[in-house]
Amino acid sequence: MKHVRMGAAVFLAAIVLAAITPRFWVTASYDAQFRETPDASPSRQFPLGTDALGRDRLSRLFYGTRVSLLLAPAAAALSCAVAAALGGIAGMAGGWMDRAIVAAADLFLSLPWLFLLLMVRAGLPLNVSPAASVTITFLLLGALGWAAPARVVRAAVRELKDSDFLLQARASGCRRSRLLWRHLLPNVAPILWAQFWIAVPVYILAETTLGMLGLGVAEPLPSWGGLLRELEDGAALSHLWLLAPVLLLAAVVGSFQLILPREDYSL
Amino acid sequence: MKRLVSQFVRMALLVLAAGLIGAFLAGYSPGALVDERELDHRLSEDSLSALRAAKGESANASANFARYVRGLAHGDLGYSQSNNAPVEGLIRDRAPETLRELAIGLAGSWLLGLGCAIPVGRWRRAWIYDGALSLTAGLLLCLPAALIAYLCLAAGSKSAVVLVIVLTPKIFRFSRTLVVAAYGASHVTMARARGIAESRILCTHILRSAAPQLLALAATSVSMAMGAAIPIETICDVPGLGRLAWQAAMARDVPLLLNLTMLVALVTITASAIAEAVTPAETTAGRKGGSQ
Repeated sequence: MKHVRMGAAVFLAAIVLAAITPRFWVTASYDAQFRETPDASPSRQFPLGTDALGRDRLSRLFYGTRVSLLLAPAAAALSCAVAAALGGIAGMAGGWMDRAIVAAADLFLSLPWLFLLLMVRAGLPLNVSPAASVTITFLLLGALGWAAPARVVRAAVRELKDSDFLLQARASGCRRSRLLWRHLLPNVAPILWAQFWIAVPVYILAETTLGMLGLGVAEPLPSWGGLLRELEDGAALSHLWLLAPVLLLAAVVGSFQLILPREDYSL
Repeated sequence: MKRLVSQFVRMALLVLAAGLIGAFLAGYSPGALVDERELDHRLSEDSLSALRAAKGESANASANFARYVRGLAHGDLGYSQSNNAPVEGLIRDRAPETLRELAIGLAGSWLLGLGCAIPVGRWRRAWIYDGALSLTAGLLLCLPAALIAYLCLAAGSKSAVVLVIVLTPKIFRFSRTLVVAAYGASHVTMARARGIAESRILCTHILRSAAPQLLALAATSVSMAMGAAIPIETICDVPGLGRLAWQAAMARDVPLLLNLTMLVALVTITASAIAEAVTPAETTAGRKGGSQ
């Protein structure tokens, strides 16, 4: 299993490297149109063909991978940061503060988050630039995904709060900030790290779903969700090269799941 | 009794919180202060100012919220501008389709998911079977529901079948863990050594000991099914609540979206409350004690 994990990590590293250096692999930009060859089949010039607007699919796949693979971890980091702050406060403070944060987390967890995401997305400006739309999409994902990790962090902090080493540190006159940074955070960090790895594939899939519904990253900026919209007309079964983003998505999300420790899948 | 009261309080709080959020969104979302009818050049200046005054009034979030709660108390869920119809009627028209789809999807996925998980626990050496199922489930979990819907639609499948395909891997993966753990317990080995029939071991030892977690999973699966219904209904063109939610998001019909979100949340919380209510009290107490 260790070898499989290692293989998945190497594969992910290779994909990330390729995604952040698209100019090494493709010559055309993601929005460059070759008007004389729309809907072209794979060729030497366009290994995955071109889309209906004559844009190179391979180039769009590289740039789309960059968007999804760089921003999903950023969104996961944001939700983990919010979870660390709120879960830490709830665990340390206790009392009404703890109850209020737990109630808010319960509320967030009881709402199917695609509904919540649709509701918040519907309230945002219409005329945003592609860059702003991608930022908004992933910021929303990060901001709405704090509840589950916050509960885990809260449980860990509550356990640590009564531990002997923290009691001794407190008895030695350790300042609250030092308690947090030197004693509490290093012990909570592995939990946050695990939550981060759980969240990344979830956010990649959430962005893909939003993009396929037309509520994700705006054109002409590519993302996996936007690229997969091409399958809408059912042409994938006759044009198998259209399935390239599907294979890449499955391989990447699968690799993230393989990297996770097995126990993280249990209830 | 205390648990039931706390669940009701939680549900009421959710309704109020969702109402407040919705009122805020409806009042401050871009374009909220503009009525499309203002573009109609046939309207007189008096009509236009009346429209603007009405819009200005509806932009007040606290007034919106008070009006919403007042309407809710009388069973009035508001009016959908994009569909030009009362929200209550829209939900009543679309709900049966979604409920039918959810019933088939949940029943099918539970039968398949749990049905595949039990042999994995029962025959621990059937690693090829376990590996093949885990691999298939893992592969399906790597694909978003919308993509599975596209692929199934191209193959001519119905929306309920898509829901079964989307939910089964999740149910299989969780229930497999529970069933394998339950079969590994020493009292099950003891029961086998005493010659008790496998069917009896399954009913009285395995399913009973895994029941609290399976019930919690059942409640969660309702939420998962609701979430998956949006992309599936949208892509398979099913006139249900999921498609209505997507249309409301595209048309920025916040009041309709708010009501749908609240409805879905209420269904989810009710499912959790039922799961908690039928779970034996000592198990819940044990779990709470353990978590503290």
